[in-house]
Amino acid sequence: MALGAVKSRSDEGATAATIGCVSIPMVEFTDERLANGLRLIIAEDHLAPVVAVNIWYGVGSKHEVPGKTGFAHLFEHVMFQGSRNVGKAEHIALVQAAGGTMNGTTWLDRTNYFETMPSHQLELAIWLEADRMGTLLDALSQENLDNQREVVKNEKRWSYDNRPYGSWSEKLQGHLYPPEHPYHHPTIGSMEDLDAASVEDVSAFFRTYYAPNNAVLSLVGDVDPVAARAWAERYFGGIPPNPAIPPLGDTSLPPILGEERREVVEDRVPLPRIFFGFRAPALGDERLDAIDVATQVLAGGKGSRLHRRLVRDDRIAQDVVGFSLGFVAGASIWAGWATVRPGVPLERVESVFLEELERLVREPVTADELARAQALIETEELGALQRVEERADRLSMYASLFDEPGLINEMLGRFLSVTPERIQAVAGEVFRADNRVVMTYVPSLPPVEAVSEDETPSAHVAIDEEEVDADVESGGEEDAA
Amino acid sequence: MSGPGDSVVVAERPTGGHPRPYLFPPFERVVLANGLKVLSVHLPGRPLVSAQLVYLNGAADEPAAEAGSTVLSARALTEGTDRYDAIALVEATERLGAGLHADASWDAYSVGIEVPASRLAPTLDLLVEVVAHPTFPEPEVERIRDERLNDILQARADARRRADEAFAATIYRDDSPYHRPSAGNTSTVALLDRERLQRAWTRGLDPARTTLVVAGDLTGLDVARLAEDLMAGWSRAEGALEPGPIGARPTKGGRRLRLVDKPGAPQTEIRVGHVGLPRGIPDFHAVSVLGAILGGLFNSRLNMKLREEKGYTYGAHAGWDLRRAPGPFSARAAVNTEVTAAALSDLTAELERIRSERVTDAELRAARDFLIGVFPLRFETPGPIVQALSGMVIHGLPDDELTTYRDRIEAVSAADVLAAARAHLDLEKASAVLVGDAAVVASSLEVVGFGPVEVIRDSEELVEA
Repeated sequence: MALGAVKSRSDEGATAATIGCVSIPMVEFTDERLANGLRLIIAEDHLAPVVAVNIWYGVGSKHEVPGKTGFAHLFEHVMFQGSRNVGKAEHIALVQAAGGTMNGTTWLDRTNYFETMPSHQLELAIWLEADRMGTLLDALSQENLDNQREVVKNEKRWSYDNRPYGSWSEKLQGHLYPPEHPYHHPTIGSMEDLDAASVEDVSAFFRTYYAPNNAVLSLVGDVDPVAARAWAERYFGGIPPNPAIPPLGDTSLPPILGEERREVVEDRVPLPRIFFGFRAPALGDERLDAIDVATQVLAGGKGSRLHRRLVRDDRIAQDVVGFSLGFVAGASIWAGWATVRPGVPLERVESVFLEELERLVREPVTADELARAQALIETEELGALQRVEERADRLSMYASLFDEPGLINEMLGRFLSVTPERIQAVAGEVFRADNRVVMTYVPSLPPVEAVSEDETPSAHVAIDEEEVDADVESGGEEDAA
Repeated sequence: MSGPGDSVVVAERPTGGHPRPYLFPPFERVVLANGLKVLSVHLPGRPLVSAQLVYLNGAADEPAAEAGSTVLSARALTEGTDRYDAIALVEATERLGAGLHADASWDAYSVGIEVPASRLAPTLDLLVEVVAHPTFPEPEVERIRDERLNDILQARADARRRADEAFAATIYRDDSPYHRPSAGNTSTVALLDRERLQRAWTRGLDPARTTLVVAGDLTGLDVARLAEDLMAGWSRAEGALEPGPIGARPTKGGRRLRLVDKPGAPQTEIRVGHVGLPRGIPDFHAVSVLGAILGGLFNSRLNMKLREEKGYTYGAHAGWDLRRAPGPFSARAAVNTEVTAAALSDLTAELERIRSERVTDAELRAARDFLIGVFPLRFETPGPIVQALSGMVIHGLPDDELTTYRDRIEAVSAADVLAAARAHLDLEKASAVLVGDAAVVASSLEVVGFGPVEVIRDSEELVEA
């Protein structure tokens, strides 16, 4: 597809003269359904002897009902506990012994499972996915469920409860979505609900949602489509559909929160951190594309507005982050945070952060800022799409959420067509005082001393950006490896 | 509920086809007149090019009094050059859609770019500007130093980081660089200034010890020529130093049991281990297979015991951090507080078991097949290829190290694994470092066999053994 050329300004960089087009290869794919409704997408790429197998089920934590939170994710763990022809933990053993990698993740809108295999082992991965889609309940036992319940509770402790600021995402979801909305609760669920999950619950969940007509299987890479199609038919073809998958109820929401919500949270942290959250347009809405480009201008690395102001120039924040979390049902989340340097008044950091959001509303971003943001997005897309695993996940995602796998070839063009005017307009809709949550985490420990006087030895590693990346890119709760 | 009818699935397991032949992609080497080496790998169809300059100068090479200067100098390197201030540099990079980053590890310094091939040449210009004319502006150095000091505070509240640091400080003698965090402690970081950072950077500036590694679709690009034009004029800097030996001596005695108190913690972070191995060992491949079986694979002994059998943890792992000098061996898990002592016992039992008898044929086959099979997956894209070749350069490995890897893994036997375990694992020398709720777990730990529990309360006393 034709992509815009990115030109440099002539004043700064003698090194950066006119820059050529970057062409991102079109992903060509086939898209079909087996008789039982399983959607099969195949994209060939024979560069490396590698093939990605990716299956999305149209079930996520938004399908959970009160009292059963965390269930979709617990269930995902059970999917690695064996099926009729596969023993406990054997799925992973077989994939790894074949030289492959695999995992599963659960998120608000979906659950996915994926393997990346040496291409001559594709058939094994298809067989494994089919065996558990068809016959998981043959191997389900109280013992396996109890074991994975404990594993998941330790995952919750490790990922949330025993981490500084670890409760922010749960709290933010709680503020941004009303209690009756399925995004109100976190994917990891509550300890009480995990404890209450029974074998009967697992069986019912499986029978309801784990059906071929609720799944998309994408095969991307060094694949012979004729053989792959035959294998999909041979292994999945005998799994009956569920004609009665219950539709999700009404998930619509007012586009804005309607008030500012504030919370102060005491936590065992040395430095305060201020979290900001806003309701944003749903995933798929072109206004979210504009928000994503704006986020690059605002918080995308060292050249971004927030980083310059808070970290570099005013030096009142230790770090600053901003990102969107796209969801299809009602509204997405835009979130950001800044960690406050010792001795700096919290209000000052909050007001500068909000000032920068309001500046997006007040005036258009400059042509140069937009060009830089889009050039970086273009390179990111090029980097992401070079991996078969990412291509397979996106094809499954676009097919599953939008019935439109071809979006894989359109998203970059959409980002590159965003204009300063569109950013300004959508920023005005989103970054409003009556649409925001401000959560301030403050130390419950005794206050720390000013940096240069403290003599305490200890550690390093910037947790912030890595953690955001982990959440955004892997999309939620990861399991196996 | 009207569930679906019975599924018909195929019981017979597919056996797999014939693997496509695979070799780690060949590289070309050019040596410029000043000694600078250029390794380039042409990868047709990979338009995102990755390139980095590798300097044999790491955090382990810095004087103890200036600990943290190498890592922080890398953070400051892109903060300004003769021609650009930090912002102008970032903007020029972004206009090219490029990433530009500098990093220092224990072993080496790297300054790299990632950019679409069509813009490689102008981005290399920026890379060269950064490494040839960095200015380390004082205000930015101060900011980066303060950010590190604040980060040290943050790290103390994070159980994982606290455990890693306390573990290193416990197993290494305090005259080893590995005793401390690579980005330095408060006492040394507080003293870092422009001169010290510049000195840390300059230490590696010798073209004869510098390598440019480039990978991607290089169609129409003459990388050797580009490097010749941009880098042939470099000469050894005043202040460049040959790396000396790295002290990595263990603390005396071993078998300490330290518990950093984190009142109310729902989990205990566990680290068990001792000073391990350098990368340059003759039995590297046997150690790789051993690590996979013990704590690398999902179905490793530790993960199967602690997670899949007991449900104590979300994951248990073990392995060697192979550095130029002996890095740590550690077994690690985060377990729920109530089972801390039981988990620690299970973990140490597995360390003992793997050196008492040969691994099974099934374990051996699974580990070898995984390492061999996953090798091409690891190198699907240019970035990891550049990293692997950089590792070869840093550790002085032979040119065929990567191309012979799979055959050498295949040749590892159960006897080799047992020999490696006996040579390189020693529970008598191992210490255990935990971060958890002392009020709940401390009294239960005496039975595990490490001797008395030393409880460290961060508010009163700090680990600086």
